[in-house]
Amino acid sequence: MPDTIWTNIFRTPRDNQAQIAELWQATPLFAGIPEREVRELAGNMHLRRFGEGEVVFREGDQAAGAILVFEGQVEILADTRRLALLERGDFFGEIALAENDQRTATARCREETRLVFFLKQDLEEWIEVAPRLGNRFLMNLASVLARRLHEANLLLARHCPE
Amino acid sequence: MSGSGDNAYLQTFKLFFWLIAITLGSFYLLSSVMLPIIISFTLYALLEPVMNTLVRRGMNRSLAIALLLVLMLTASMLAIGFALPPLFQQVALLKSKLPALFSQFEAFLTVYVERLGAQLGIDLNLSDILVNLLSQSTSLGNALLATLSASVAGITLSMILVPLLTYFILRDYKSLRNRLLGWLPNHRFELGWLIYHRVTRQLEAYTRGVMKQSAIMAVVASIGYWIVGLDIPLLLGALTGLLNLIPYIGPLISMVLAVLVAAAMTPFDPQLIYYAIGVVVMAQVVDNVIVIPSVIANAVDLHPVPVIVGILIFGNLFGAIGVILAIPALAAAKIIFNNLYQHAYNASRQG
Repeated sequence: MPDTIWTNIFRTPRDNQAQIAELWQATPLFAGIPEREVRELAGNMHLRRFGEGEVVFREGDQAAGAILVFEGQVEILADTRRLALLERGDFFGEIALAENDQRTATARCREETRLVFFLKQDLEEWIEVAPRLGNRFLMNLASVLARRLHEANLLLARHCPE
Repeated sequence: MSGSGDNAYLQTFKLFFWLIAITLGSFYLLSSVMLPIIISFTLYALLEPVMNTLVRRGMNRSLAIALLLVLMLTASMLAIGFALPPLFQQVALLKSKLPALFSQFEAFLTVYVERLGAQLGIDLNLSDILVNLLSQSTSLGNALLATLSASVAGITLSMILVPLLTYFILRDYKSLRNRLLGWLPNHRFELGWLIYHRVTRQLEAYTRGVMKQSAIMAVVASIGYWIVGLDIPLLLGALTGLLNLIPYIGPLISMVLAVLVAAAMTPFDPQLIYYAIGVVVMAQVVDNVIVIPSVIANAVDLHPVPVIVGILIFGNLFGAIGVILAIPALAAAKIIFNNLYQHAYNASRQG
């Protein structure tokens, strides 16, 4: 049994940490970031459990970070219309890593779900200790946001051609 | 406004007041060890980046912390070894001068009151009141010195507690923090972190700014007192720097101290009193015109009235430490309230 006074009982259990790192590394956000580094970061991320139908955030809520689906399904809604259905390994809300702004849609769990929060605070702390890798991550984030913008533009052009 | 909107605001106010109550309660319970806690967190803020660099270069975390603490202790021992003897000499000098200082001041004021009475053609008969007031200030001065001595005892205790606390804060603070914030319910998780992030960023900026500001003020005032030829310039300068932590009231106290020291000097030179006031005023001008705009860029945006009221209340509740904690506590409370209120506003709009 671990000694609760002297051992660090607050760490994310190692098997979860490895899985979280693996999932993040498969996303374009962590392209080119060494596995050891992602694993270290994953140790400080926040794994949380949500019930079926529970709202992760509502449109207009203040945003603190990006979220990865670790287990289960999350639907993204604008009013009552479903914009996307996200599953294990998908991430959303990454705009919050660039800007602590309000959420632009509502996210709701379709079933028992576990989500990993990568907060802007964690990102800033990481950038302070690993500026070069942090820079790489920010370039990745910029590409992801640019691609989302590009797709939004295409969608807009398709729906309003004039 | 809808019923659920009202409910959201009510919940926010309830939550805010619970937070305030819990924080004040913890301050009260921890008041005897507040000084070492504050010092340890300040050291944490200073040492954490260095520790991270060492850990990233492959050093074991506990070893890195131990190494940093040993280095820090050695450096502070050396600094204390060099700085304390002259400071203690000056405290002793001030103590020996206190009786002369008050009797001189008493004579000085009595003459002035009599002259004023004669000029106005009425018998002011204020000397009794003034003598009474002065005897009170003598006990106030002694109380101040007693507080200073008690602080020295407190500092000795802190020297034992601080390295221990700093070690554990460096090692476990982040994981403990994650664990505590992890207890937030899902719908408040992001909001909780956002508030934590904003509060800590503001407090870090404030602490760094205020430390620099204090050091600059101490140097400027020491040089000023030395130039005008005041006794104990180093001690007075250090006190001016320290008192500068207390807005509005601090500089007034340093002015009174400087005037008392000037009045106690033999031979008595009334001009020196004006010079002493001049140095404090000049230091304030330097502070307000140069130091605050350039050093405290992220200065807390608080109205003077809550600042003064806050300082008085915190001073009354928690003594000298409370006076120093008042501003950061008010700044933190303001951020927390604004964010909770914004959240309630969003919730009420969504009905």
